[in-house]
Amino acid sequence: MFASFVQGPLVRVIPLGLILLALQRTLFVEIQVGGVIIQIMMAMAAAAGVAGGSERGAVVGFTLGLMFDLAEGTPLGSTATAMTIAGAVGGLLALIAADPHWWLEAIFTALGTAAGVAMIPLLRAFIGESEPFQRELGVVLAVVAAAAALMSPLLVPLARWCLRIRRPEWKQPVGSEPTS
Amino acid sequence: MAIYSVGRKRVILALLLTTALLLTLDLRGNPIIDAAREGFTQVMRPVQTATGVVTNPIERVWHGIINYDNVEQENIALQEQVDRLIGTQAAAEAAVIEGKELQALYSLPSLSGIDTEVARVVGRAANNFDQVIEINKGSSSGIEVGMAVVNQAGLVGKVTQVTRTSARVMLVTDLRYSVAVKVTSSADADADVPTNTSPSGLSESEIAAAGTTTTTSTTVPSLTGPIVPGLTLPDGSPVPDTTLPGTAVGPDGQPVIDPITGRPLTAEQITALLDALANAPSTTAAETTTADDATLAAESATTTTTTLAEIIEKEYGALEGRGRRRLPQIKFVQDSPSLSELVPGDLVETAGGSESLAPTGIPVGRVLNRADRPGSGGPLLDVELYADLARLNFVRVVLYKPLSEVDQ
Repeated sequence: MFASFVQGPLVRVIPLGLILLALQRTLFVEIQVGGVIIQIMMAMAAAAGVAGGSERGAVVGFTLGLMFDLAEGTPLGSTATAMTIAGAVGGLLALIAADPHWWLEAIFTALGTAAGVAMIPLLRAFIGESEPFQRELGVVLAVVAAAAALMSPLLVPLARWCLRIRRPEWKQPVGSEPTS
Repeated sequence: MAIYSVGRKRVILALLLTTALLLTLDLRGNPIIDAAREGFTQVMRPVQTATGVVTNPIERVWHGIINYDNVEQENIALQEQVDRLIGTQAAAEAAVIEGKELQALYSLPSLSGIDTEVARVVGRAANNFDQVIEINKGSSSGIEVGMAVVNQAGLVGKVTQVTRTSARVMLVTDLRYSVAVKVTSSADADADVPTNTSPSGLSESEIAAAGTTTTTSTTVPSLTGPIVPGLTLPDGSPVPDTTLPGTAVGPDGQPVIDPITGRPLTAEQITALLDALANAPSTTAAETTTADDATLAAESATTTTTTLAEIIEKEYGALEGRGRRRLPQIKFVQDSPSLSELVPGDLVETAGGSESLAPTGIPVGRVLNRADRPGSGGPLLDVELYADLARLNFVRVVLYKPLSEVDQ
């Protein structure tokens, strides 16, 4: 069991999550774009999905979300659910392309992040909050998704490192060059 | 390349069910989860502190780039505000002292009798949905869930979570926040606060004819008060230990203290001070380019008249937060034709009551807009808060329990 833990992704995800959480609560609270706080942890969950598939993305999202809930005092499981969905959506979108370009990864990460953020007010409505949907939700989604797309060239390789995934070395078969 | 399978789907479903279970346990209140939360906070603290130190230069550069123009404009606006406040300070002091005497005379409930705890704001919510701050005092300082939190300007929010050494404060603007408030009339109050002092006996033209330029600044005795031990401002100066906003004390928020002896003034001394203020206003500084008789006469004849405003309690309602960038709103109010109509400019303060977590009389803000609704819904009042919630450095937790909880 111990060996599986050490060889598993969590041994890297938890320390990385601590650092990202600290960044989220210090740097990104101050550096707001249009009054919107960039969600680096949500972006990381989505990037893990893009890098490792929906299952591993969901596991990473669940772990990061629990850490976020514990530190922020939000109901335990509320952000974890949103980040699990962000990771799963990122992973599902990554099925579209076998070896996506960086810009495709950025789009998938952005969409996964947006899906996760959109889940938060929905979940809060389920747990009984009145009027959890803000008027600025559209702006929040746009800014958070754009920021996630910009950060994806950094976050996706980081997620690969966390999940111990090596980028496949695809080679074009000889003689298959496109003819003009 | 990720491959989608039924097994993967099960893992995701299992994780979602786990989160639902945790959510249920947490919302019902679970000591294990509370302990885990406190433990994680302790683990997180050094990491966050180190990260804060490392990222601080980046934050400063960002603010330097983004906020420079705003800060410059704000500086100009603040300077104008300071100038205006200096002009009204003497009148405010007299009114405050008189109000304190009246409260003591009629044994009215006063905020000055409630203990408070000063705390530093150490964090903010890291998401886009909650309006929450974190303070560096917790249950070890007597803070409990539900207590009201204020700053020098007025109501800030209420405590929603407490650990031993920290607490979370839900701001007034949070969607989940609600507090009972009363709306009072302010029209008379505005009219009664003198915004300038006028020389009696000589007109401005007469002074001008005398060929002098007179600048008169009205100052009040320097009231030095206690400071908060262990806390300093960013520039290294101590943090003044101030009392609640709206408390019947001196204009600096402190009990009135003799500037010479440093001790609180007695009732007789306060009366003497009132007489002195009424008869000879504290005009202490004057810059005169040419000191002639006309200028001296004008200076000595400066009078300040203070009349206490009549406060009309118009209506009671519920103030609710509406999220970031949106003004809190008062609901459940109706116009009372026998009193007066609810209008922009009316004052809003906490209503108190036997079950309210906030004591009565904490200033909240001013009515900015009124929106009428069809039917019997009554108007909605947008409230501009006195406290600037975007810039909270130090706050004060009101260690107050409603009467309904005191006996328990």
